[in-house]
Amino acid sequence: MKIRRFEDLENVRKAGIKKLLPDKPRVAVGLATCGIAAGGQDVYEALEAALKKKGVNAFLTKTGCFGICSEEPLVNIVMPGKPLVILHKVQKEEVDLIVEKVAKGELPEEKVLCKIEEWDHLTLDKPLYYGRGYKNIPLWNEISYFKPQKKVVLRNAGIINPEDIEEYIAVGGYSAAYKALTEMSPDEIVEEVKKSGLRGRGGAGFPTGLKWEFTKKEDSNIKYVICNADEGDPGAYMNRNEMESDPHMIIEGMLIGAYAIGATEGYIYVRAEYPLAIERLKLAIKQAKEYGLLGKHIFGTGFSFDIRIVAGAGAFVCGEETALIASIEGKPGRPRPRPPFPAQKGLWGKPTNINNVETWCNIAPIIKKGGEWFSRIGVEKNTGTKVFSLVGKVKRTGLVEVPLGTPIREIVYTAGGGSATGKKVKAVQTGGPSGGCIPENLFDLPVDYDHLASAGSIMGSGGMVVMDEDTCMVDTARYFLGFTLDESCGKCVPCREGTKRMYDILEKITKGQGTEEDLLTLEELAETVKATSLCGLGQTAPNPVISTIRYFKDEYTKHIKDKVCPARVCRALIDYFIVPDKCRGCTICMKSCPVDAIDGGPGLIHIIDQTKCIACGTCMDVCPFDAVIKLSGEKIETPDKPIPIKKGR
Amino acid sequence: MKKTVRIKINGKIYEAKEEESVLSVCNRVGIDIPQLCYNEALAPYGACRLCLVEVVNGPGKKGITTSCTLRAVDGLEIVTDTEKIVKYRSILFELYLAQAPNSEEIREMAAKYGVTKTRFSKKVKPLDPLGNKCVLCGQCVRVCNEIMGTAAIGYIGRAFYTRINTPYLEKSDVCMGCGACVEVCPTGAIQMEDIQDKRVMKSWSGTEVKLKKCKSCGRYFAPEPIAEFAYTKLDPEIKEELKDLCPDCRRKLLSKREILISQGEVPMNGE
Repeated sequence: MKIRRFEDLENVRKAGIKKLLPDKPRVAVGLATCGIAAGGQDVYEALEAALKKKGVNAFLTKTGCFGICSEEPLVNIVMPGKPLVILHKVQKEEVDLIVEKVAKGELPEEKVLCKIEEWDHLTLDKPLYYGRGYKNIPLWNEISYFKPQKKVVLRNAGIINPEDIEEYIAVGGYSAAYKALTEMSPDEIVEEVKKSGLRGRGGAGFPTGLKWEFTKKEDSNIKYVICNADEGDPGAYMNRNEMESDPHMIIEGMLIGAYAIGATEGYIYVRAEYPLAIERLKLAIKQAKEYGLLGKHIFGTGFSFDIRIVAGAGAFVCGEETALIASIEGKPGRPRPRPPFPAQKGLWGKPTNINNVETWCNIAPIIKKGGEWFSRIGVEKNTGTKVFSLVGKVKRTGLVEVPLGTPIREIVYTAGGGSATGKKVKAVQTGGPSGGCIPENLFDLPVDYDHLASAGSIMGSGGMVVMDEDTCMVDTARYFLGFTLDESCGKCVPCREGTKRMYDILEKITKGQGTEEDLLTLEELAETVKATSLCGLGQTAPNPVISTIRYFKDEYTKHIKDKVCPARVCRALIDYFIVPDKCRGCTICMKSCPVDAIDGGPGLIHIIDQTKCIACGTCMDVCPFDAVIKLSGEKIETPDKPIPIKKGR
Repeated sequence: MKKTVRIKINGKIYEAKEEESVLSVCNRVGIDIPQLCYNEALAPYGACRLCLVEVVNGPGKKGITTSCTLRAVDGLEIVTDTEKIVKYRSILFELYLAQAPNSEEIREMAAKYGVTKTRFSKKVKPLDPLGNKCVLCGQCVRVCNEIMGTAAIGYIGRAFYTRINTPYLEKSDVCMGCGACVEVCPTGAIQMEDIQDKRVMKSWSGTEVKLKKCKSCGRYFAPEPIAEFAYTKLDPEIKEELKDLCPDCRRKLLSKREILISQGEVPMNGE
């Protein structure tokens, strides 16, 4: 059916509500890529089989990701009139138990993580009410992972089925688009977005309303809107999850934006390495067309709009807007100088507005609840929320959506639960390869565009990698630079040649061959590449180097002067030893050594021949008695050759 | 006609056409700025990063930028050769010296700006068809694409390992042998040679283009595809007359006829 009038939308909404709050138990498995990777698909199939076998009358479906990836697979259960309950770390072996309980109207209490009594989808007039009950189960926002969070972008993620447009409409989906197209003028929409203070979520933080206004002002009968979904920072996957968990919110955002600036065609440029996101977006576009929400005369108005998907060709630099446009046009993904900006001359030479996935995600709530409402979230000049992918050496990993201005400490410690290894957290790396490392003593820094920039990092698309004392900062800088060096398009000299020379120096330092002159050259190069590169990729590529030199210079100095890697990471600077008092003479290390560097035998204290050892660490991994230690710049006393272990030890 | 604007360079006021590139203004009035990828005939590219200037006043962004991509507008004020620019430029020259160790042109240019040594290891590619002289300014690729409309050459690979050559390093069947690439190359990296009836683009995977023989004197004078292309632009009558003649013989023919006419004789066709 085609949705033309408000009543049509209401009818679909009512049908959708029946799926979200059915008169029988609703069981939904979190099946975004993270859930599937953790075994969610197996759980789903096992549930399907068990429900059928036991003849339980329940509604089995899927959802996206609720954000707490370290607890996947997640399963939601809604008993009629009761709160939504989230089960965590569900294994397929536990499915029978779950089904038995559900059949009796009970819950498998040991699997329960939290409950949701009502949920504010933001696009509904009032929160969706599930029910009260289950006194002993904590509310979702009583779980410390969710305590600092506010879900605006992830308002539907993990709750609705991303493959069912009716469920999206059930929670108020497309009502903002209806309002925009039938009640608001393009100028009013742009004004509302400007009022919200929303800034581009791709990383640079340009005011979205202003950007829209630029494209709107251009006089052209053809204009385009583009969704930049070429997410590629190592350790960052916010956009993937947004597309997989709630694809319609992106389509709705683009629809509103297109109407506001006068575009009739939209493109979503998704990296090809996101097959599930592409699949769900395609399905969402197909459904939107069936319901008349894309295509000709949307909501019976004179406005027509369509969206196409373009799969990226595997270059990180295509996240840069001019390179992205070139890529859609079928040319190599190489940035070009601006101006002209895409707003003036973009895709096929026509005015084009490009926004990041997450920017588009914020549009529907802004239109529905007003720019004023949005501007109250976050802090001045940094309004709204930002989704971060919290990864690395932190206890709880996943997607954390917090109001801008939240201190790093709250994200890493309250949400993330601090160090995963028990070792002290040393730094976080934000903004991916274009970002920088922020040391633990600056964790009170509010996370927003301006504070991160002042600390030498950037917001970027929202990657947040936690590092502990076992992370070598020189090696980290080398790693990130290796990434950008590889992804440089090769057009301008500083980025193409400069990053390679910087990488060479870093490699030299991690091998213990660096000199103080090298460090000076590195700093000079970093400054030059940053100041003179053509596009954002080169201009930000030195950030990991500059920030680690700024905050961790002593680590560089130790590598250079003392030939010591304090974190014991750089292979050329570490030695492995077998502690004589701990060795039990089991011979496992000797047998596992790939270069026959270990001498020993049954009942003998084993010793490592340092001249043969390649510091691969295999002996340390296999030793059942923790007798192997790793040192840098230090030695321990070991026998010259294998000697018998003292009796009675 | 574009309107004339006034911009300030190093404290002095100059006139420019609105939207003209600042580098073009500098080149015209004789302000020395090093440049490798700029060519008036081509769209601004902004790859060599040598033409850095600093915007100190104006409607747009302030700070260091490339003058080839900077547009002249009223009120724009820039300075050249600031301490920072000289520092960055020196490092860029060091990178160039390492990238194209065999290029005499790069060595001379760098020396002119005070850089005679590089701290970086020389990038020597064995059997490089461009003789380790290419700096990837892209002028050859752009002239082939933008001006000739041929696109016989392009970039291969990316990042530090980017090269310029024909697709798949195979002989090009679209190259017209015009030699514009050789003409624009700032480092003399591209090798081209006319051998008997063929023009051989030695740097471009040995691409061969047939040469046209002059029907009068018998020498080979131009690549066939270029001659054929030129004939399509000529008046059909003149074309019949001048076709397949080398420039010298063409001149001879026309001069002779002019003389005959001035002496009151009517020249025979082809005479």
